[in-house]
Amino acid sequence: MSAAVSAVPAVPPYVLPSDQLRRRLGGFLAVAVFLVGSGAFLGFKPWLLITDFHYIVKLAAEMVPPNLALLWEKTTLRASVAETVAMAFLGTLVGGFAALGLAFFAAANTAPHPAVRAVVRALFQFERATPNLITALVLLVAVGFGPFAGFLALTIGSLGMFGKLFSDAIEQVDTGPTEAVASVGATRWQVIRFAILPQVLPSVVGNVFYAFDVNLRLAIALGIYGAGGLGFELQLAMKVLRYPDVLALVLLIVVLITAMERVSDFLRRRLIGHDTLK
Amino acid sequence: MLYVENLSKSLPNGRVLLDRVSFSVKPGEFVGILGASGAGKSLTLRCVLGLTRPDSGRARLVTSNGTEFDLTGASGRRLREARRRMGVIFQGFHLVKRLRVLDNVMIGRLGEISPWRSWFYGFTDREAAGAFEALRCVKMESCAERVTGTLSGGEMQRVAIARAMFQQPELFLADEPIASLDPSNSLAIMKLLRPLAAATPVVGVFHQPEMTARFCTRVIAIKHGRIIYDGAPELSHAKLEEIYGNELMEVLRPAPVAPAPAPSPEPAHSAGLELAKLA
Amino acid sequence: MTTAAGLASERAGGWRRFRRPFLAALVLGALVWWSAALCRVSLDELGPALVKGIEVGGFFLPPDWRALPELLQPALVTMLLAAVATPLGLALSIGFGLAGARNLAPEWLRMPARWLIGIERALPELITLLLLVAALGIGPFPGVMALAIGSIGMLGKLIADAIEEIDPRVLESVESVGATRWQTIRHAVLPEIMPGLLANTIFRFEVNVRSSVLLGAAGAGGIGFELNKAMSMLEYERAMTAILVTLALVFGAERLSDFLRRRVLDGGKLK
Repeated sequence: MSAAVSAVPAVPPYVLPSDQLRRRLGGFLAVAVFLVGSGAFLGFKPWLLITDFHYIVKLAAEMVPPNLALLWEKTTLRASVAETVAMAFLGTLVGGFAALGLAFFAAANTAPHPAVRAVVRALFQFERATPNLITALVLLVAVGFGPFAGFLALTIGSLGMFGKLFSDAIEQVDTGPTEAVASVGATRWQVIRFAILPQVLPSVVGNVFYAFDVNLRLAIALGIYGAGGLGFELQLAMKVLRYPDVLALVLLIVVLITAMERVSDFLRRRLIGHDTLK
Repeated sequence: MLYVENLSKSLPNGRVLLDRVSFSVKPGEFVGILGASGAGKSLTLRCVLGLTRPDSGRARLVTSNGTEFDLTGASGRRLREARRRMGVIFQGFHLVKRLRVLDNVMIGRLGEISPWRSWFYGFTDREAAGAFEALRCVKMESCAERVTGTLSGGEMQRVAIARAMFQQPELFLADEPIASLDPSNSLAIMKLLRPLAAATPVVGVFHQPEMTARFCTRVIAIKHGRIIYDGAPELSHAKLEEIYGNELMEVLRPAPVAPAPAPSPEPAHSAGLELAKLA
Repeated sequence: MTTAAGLASERAGGWRRFRRPFLAALVLGALVWWSAALCRVSLDELGPALVKGIEVGGFFLPPDWRALPELLQPALVTMLLAAVATPLGLALSIGFGLAGARNLAPEWLRMPARWLIGIERALPELITLLLLVAALGIGPFPGVMALAIGSIGMLGKLIADAIEEIDPRVLESVESVGATRWQTIRHAVLPEIMPGLLANTIFRFEVNVRSSVLLGAAGAGGIGFELNKAMSMLEYERAMTAILVTLALVFGAERLSDFLRRRVLDGGKLK
């Protein structure tokens, strides 16, 4: 077999490794130049990780041991946790309901009029694009600080998130059951309830649970900006430089989010698996 | 040269998988290993490759310049060096489907290249040319740029052979190389393997006695983990019955040594394959 | 769940059929009531709040267009923060992903890696940012690091899962030529996961732009910071301009991400 010493054919019918290497190197170089350039523009100093690392260590030292006693001593903490969860829960639920209702106006097969459809779709698009921060800041000004603003912000945010998803799902239903129900003389709302809704429900439920997880994290973030709940407690502890409290709260947050994820996973499996919804 | 000496392995419940399997293979031989499902054929091969450890016995590889490798006892670096010198093709081809055909062949050389080089530099043009030559030997050179996943089974197996050839090994091992292929592709593969044996020994596990009868220089038959035959590739009907027992009627075709390719065997033996692949 | 059958059985069956959904509805209703109380949702207040909201909305218009040139640089900063953080996050995630894969990493490495990935997923990026700012002060560094670390939860898990799904026989086949573990990773693992990984990374960039806005107000800089500043200084028209710039930025990032992802998935690129 002559594979031992082979001259490279004059015009090889394959891409040479050296060409590939050159291309790859060029790509990497371009990315590297971009990163270094952007970093310089931003004033991003990655070497700080090494030179200033001791500050991180110092902070860590101040945070440890975490003031876990806080968790049962501070009675308002339980209310804060409840507030955060309630914000996320209610925001997801109300947003989901509203989105589902509006989605019927935005879906091609159930919209009463194309103009209505266009308007609702535009509304969804706008809300999807608006970062939650903006909604929250505006609401904080309008209704004042506290979980009410947070709840409203999450509701609006969920509306945006769900709107497009639900209307797409509605548009993609099987037409068979729709025709079947319509043929027995049902009204439009009956068609929706008996033919479209059952098909759309599993994905709706799935999305709602996923949104709850996302909204829980957002509820904490918004809380830091003034919407109350755990976020508020955390930024308060930071402002007064009580770092063991901070670590305790961070741990609590991590545990809360993980626990909620498990719960929502469990519930979702029960719900979609068992189809207990009418 | 390959020396297999007294390989033995049993399951914890006492069932014997391999019972003092011993044979040796030298250049010029194309050895076909036959046996019923679960007889221990693939297990023997896996022991030689170091993928499975036998309970006792060993396999040794002695290269043309005298270096000796203990295949069953080696691990880490030593095992890698031994594997470099063995070209393997598998029943399922197991190529990296997303890569080009040429890349898959070049992988054969990884044992010679340092990890640093293969990560940051890749292959050299010289290696690519050599891989292309290997593809030419298996008549797949026109597919060098194609994505491997788009090839058919027979084409992929040929690429696998090209990879093994590119390794320039001291020994070729084939684990049921034609079991997944149709008759014309099976024939093509066997015709590729046969000339390789002239310079480098080829050891293959097969389920097709008519193929081994036609192409191999020697046949080893294993039954219940023990070698019951080691000799000329043409097997009498009585011998085949002894090897395969009840399976014979499924395995056998009307004319064992007919010039026309025979219909492919029933893949009912795949269950036995799983058994034989026990760790 | 057929329609005619549904109609029929609803009329026919006794109240027993409704027991489970009824209970569920009851529990749900209770939760809603309780949550509403916690959030101090007050429907009477909603009316005046809406009026106040519209009134406040009036403050935001017309947007202060003169502020537009000054806001372009912060917008660029926000985008670049995400752009620099995403490759960094990818690099970190690849490390964690490799360490968290059952078929590659030894058990003593795999468990902690998966565990850390899980914890990171539950840690909102804002908190990471606040901690880094507390230690190192305000600046782009904590912002980029918070975003990069934040990607580990999503990308790290994805990578680890994708690696675990690779056909073990392909890995075995590459090892049979005498390749080392790292060579197997480079030539068998990486090509398989690359396209999906690239698509997800580009998606992560889009997510990071949104996060960058959120983090901005807390000290990472950029348009989020400007927005927050304008709001707190009651310069609502300026804030409106900032909002519009942000919307444009997020929209642009989404378009870019869609375009790149389509290129990657169609081209089947592998590096």
